[in-house]
Amino acid sequence: MSSLMKFIGVDKIQKAIQIFQENGGLKASLIKMLRNDELKSGTLVGVDKYGNRYYENNAYFVGRNRWIEYADHYWLDYNASQIPAEWYGWMHYKTDLIPTKDPNRPHHRWMLDHTENMTGTSGQYTPYSTNRPKIEAWIPPKK
Amino acid sequence: MTSKLAKPVVRQVKPLLSLDKEEARKRALNLYKAWYRQIPYIVRDSYLPKSVEQCRAKLREEFEKHRNLTDIRVIDMLVIKGQMELKSCANKWSQSCHIMNFFKESYEQKPKDFLSKFMDGRP
Amino acid sequence: MLRTPLHRALLPCVREALSVSRASASTAPEKIEVFIDDKRVLVEPGTTVLQAAALVGVEIPRFCYHERLAVAGNCRMCLVEVEKSPKPVAACAMPVMKGWRVKTNSEMTKKAREGVMEFLLVNHPLDCPICDQGGECDLQDQSMAFGSDRSRFTDIDHSGKRAVEDKDIGPLVKTIMTRCIHCTRCIRFASEVAGIDDLGTTGRGNDMQVGTYVEKMFLSELSGNIIDLCPVGALTSKPYSFTARPWETRKTESVDVHDAIGSNIVVSTRTGEVLRILPRVNEEVNEEWLSDKSRFAYDGLRRQRLISPMLKVGGQLAPVDWEDALVSCARALVEAGPHSAAIVGGLADAESLIALKDLFNRLGSEQLFTEEQFPVDGAATDLRSSYILNNKITGVEEADLILLVGTNPRFEAPLLNARIRKSYVHNELDIALIGPQLNLTYDYTHVGEGPDVLKQLVSESHPFARKLKAAKKPMIILGAQQLKRPDGAAILASVQQISQKLGKNKDGWKVLNVLQQTASQVAALDLGYKTNARSILENGSNPPKVLFLLGADEGVIQRSDLPASTYVIYQGHHGDVGASMADAVLPGATYTEKQGTYVNTEGRAQQTLVAVTPPGMAREDWKIIRALSEVSGYKLDFDTLAEVRLRLEQVAPNLVKYDEVEEANFFKEASELNKDASAKLGNESFDVKLKNLEDFYMTNSISRASETMAKCVQAVMKQKQSKYYEAQSA
Repeated sequence: MSSLMKFIGVDKIQKAIQIFQENGGLKASLIKMLRNDELKSGTLVGVDKYGNRYYENNAYFVGRNRWIEYADHYWLDYNASQIPAEWYGWMHYKTDLIPTKDPNRPHHRWMLDHTENMTGTSGQYTPYSTNRPKIEAWIPPKK
Repeated sequence: MTSKLAKPVVRQVKPLLSLDKEEARKRALNLYKAWYRQIPYIVRDSYLPKSVEQCRAKLREEFEKHRNLTDIRVIDMLVIKGQMELKSCANKWSQSCHIMNFFKESYEQKPKDFLSKFMDGRP
Repeated sequence: MLRTPLHRALLPCVREALSVSRASASTAPEKIEVFIDDKRVLVEPGTTVLQAAALVGVEIPRFCYHERLAVAGNCRMCLVEVEKSPKPVAACAMPVMKGWRVKTNSEMTKKAREGVMEFLLVNHPLDCPICDQGGECDLQDQSMAFGSDRSRFTDIDHSGKRAVEDKDIGPLVKTIMTRCIHCTRCIRFASEVAGIDDLGTTGRGNDMQVGTYVEKMFLSELSGNIIDLCPVGALTSKPYSFTARPWETRKTESVDVHDAIGSNIVVSTRTGEVLRILPRVNEEVNEEWLSDKSRFAYDGLRRQRLISPMLKVGGQLAPVDWEDALVSCARALVEAGPHSAAIVGGLADAESLIALKDLFNRLGSEQLFTEEQFPVDGAATDLRSSYILNNKITGVEEADLILLVGTNPRFEAPLLNARIRKSYVHNELDIALIGPQLNLTYDYTHVGEGPDVLKQLVSESHPFARKLKAAKKPMIILGAQQLKRPDGAAILASVQQISQKLGKNKDGWKVLNVLQQTASQVAALDLGYKTNARSILENGSNPPKVLFLLGADEGVIQRSDLPASTYVIYQGHHGDVGASMADAVLPGATYTEKQGTYVNTEGRAQQTLVAVTPPGMAREDWKIIRALSEVSGYKLDFDTLAEVRLRLEQVAPNLVKYDEVEEANFFKEASELNKDASAKLGNESFDVKLKNLEDFYMTNSISRASETMAKCVQAVMKQKQSKYYEAQSA
């Protein structure tokens, strides 16, 4: 029976329906496809403080088995620099322990919050000269 | 006394290529024709941002510049130079940027009169 | 003061030497023959060995000797061997005797020099790499040339070199007194030239120190000169400290414009920046001195600058392109036509003055004024004799009596004052003053405070009139600022009358002198500028529609004086009073950025040269006016500087005869024409604007923008709080 089903491809349809269901129904799935260009099923491993969701499914081969769904408010403006440093290692297979499970992660008061790459935005760093200007121009008094 | 003795002297000069005016004219015309025929290939091969017509207009302009030349030696020399230029275009020794130099689009004229010099901040 | 003690104290021979130059009238004494390195030279009796050597081109090393200061003879560097003399003699102080054979290169001389140099270096720090004098240090040069080639200094873990606690003598001169070699040049300069006995020595031998005795500033308007005089790095320039080495800078010979003296200067620049200003020797103008304002106000050249044309947009000046600015100004000028007026300030060069005048004349306007005012009654500025310093600056040295009328030369023209003091010290010059009591650094007779004295002098009823009459070469120096007064014409007329009387039978000796305050004034008057700027407001119903200010920053006309519809154009280099009230601002060039002609108060045409380029979009001034003329359709006929100067020559040929003084005449006629005015003398006593040192530092837009000058004012104020401050000293 099952082999027959497999033969005529019904299992693929079942699998697809399962993936749709796991991703929260048809509408949610379509939105995910719009945002991520693909639809995958996997276990939610963790959520970072910015709302990004991290998934893992070892049925996929390495390199595709860990992925991120960026927080909803990024909508289509997401990029890899929005992954905070603590999740970076897990995403890049430097470690298999997610930040909450890893007892050896350093925690210091002076550690700064993660910032994404601001290049191309109004918040980008622009170099400036610290030299004294050779000529100081007159600024007309404000009235 | 000396003025009587002085005769008008025609200086014989060694010709470059042409022996008379007609020959020089032919050489110039031939060069023009050669360029005229080559231009479509130049435009196509070098991806010039100009049409064949524009290039032919430029060709005519370059030749017209020397319309009033009478010295055969000068005409010959220009023909030689034009031939060299044509060769380097045809063999793609000249690239599109070099060919575009004919159009002098990025070439800014130096200001000459007082006011434009002043605006430019030149002495 | 210095005068009497100096004369008594000086060696008779030195006094002789000082008077040599003036003794030409009396019988010339027989010349004596001496030999310098076997070269024969004939010299006047009383000439020192050093001077005699200089005559044949032999330079003897020296530290303490300076041509313009009294001989001290304490550095011993100039020791030379004289044949048949058992000991070497100090060349700077020893007058030559007949038949002396001086050897400036003998073994004994060399040994003496090496010995002296060794002693100097024992206590001189080896900090040349961090010393500002490096590269222009006499000690460095002379130790290379005349010092021993090896050191005997073995005291490594030693008792230490002499070290002196540092002194603070003000914001201009930096002291590192450990480097001092006690040549006492600064002390002699202070007491002889500057006339301030603040510097002196304490202690003896190894403990000798040069200083101010008590903690106080060296407050003089000439203090910067001790930096040049100091042969080592003990006195260096504070604003210039650690800035550049002399070999890195480009030097441009130029002329100063901070006062009407027109001191000759050298502008040192590097990478488009003025780094310092030094004096250039010109015996007829500034000798080798420079006033502090001229020397140190250069940092004002890079602050508060106008670097872009500006137009008023919504009541606020905003930077615009030259095209927009010129079009706006031209439109306003063309609309106003004859109803336009111009006022020129004290820093304008003759080229821009003539360009502006030509442009306005083409517009149909004759309303061109100088900011400085001058009476317009009688001959006014038509005759040149009534507005220049007719006796010239060098005339001070010939004069035997100077009457200062309503002027404070010490701060209005510090170098003229230095000349007066020089003449006072060396030539028995007598000085008298009509005006407020001032400290002029020399003694003077205070004749009176107000114009009533002038009246008495005209009628010769004043006791001082007899003294004036008795003088062989009297000079009267009238401060130009008194001519602003309502009775300015009368003051000028009376002074002219007095001078006229005194000048009789003095074969060409001119008595009348007017001391101008600004660098541009004489050129402007030569070119026919008017002097009563306030009169544009007195037109009543017809105020100017356009007011063109060419560097006019003294606020002769305030914005509130003008109707709101008047379009004010300011052309200049600093954002100051003028730019603040303008509707359009055209950025010009300062005196270091243009080749411009300036005529000093004695009528000497001199030119500045381009040391740096004008910053940003600023342009040379005459070019701006030339461009404006073309845009407005009244094109002027010159395109190059040479053509402008040709035009200058047409109007006033003396303006392009550089480094020559064009003398004035028609004294009698000027006096005659002004005669009517002399009766209208007021009663108000004379007042001078620059009374104290703190007034001296900030007088024009450049010096007002200078931080160094602001620091100087603060320093003077601080000094006044000090318990060592005497009211008389500054």
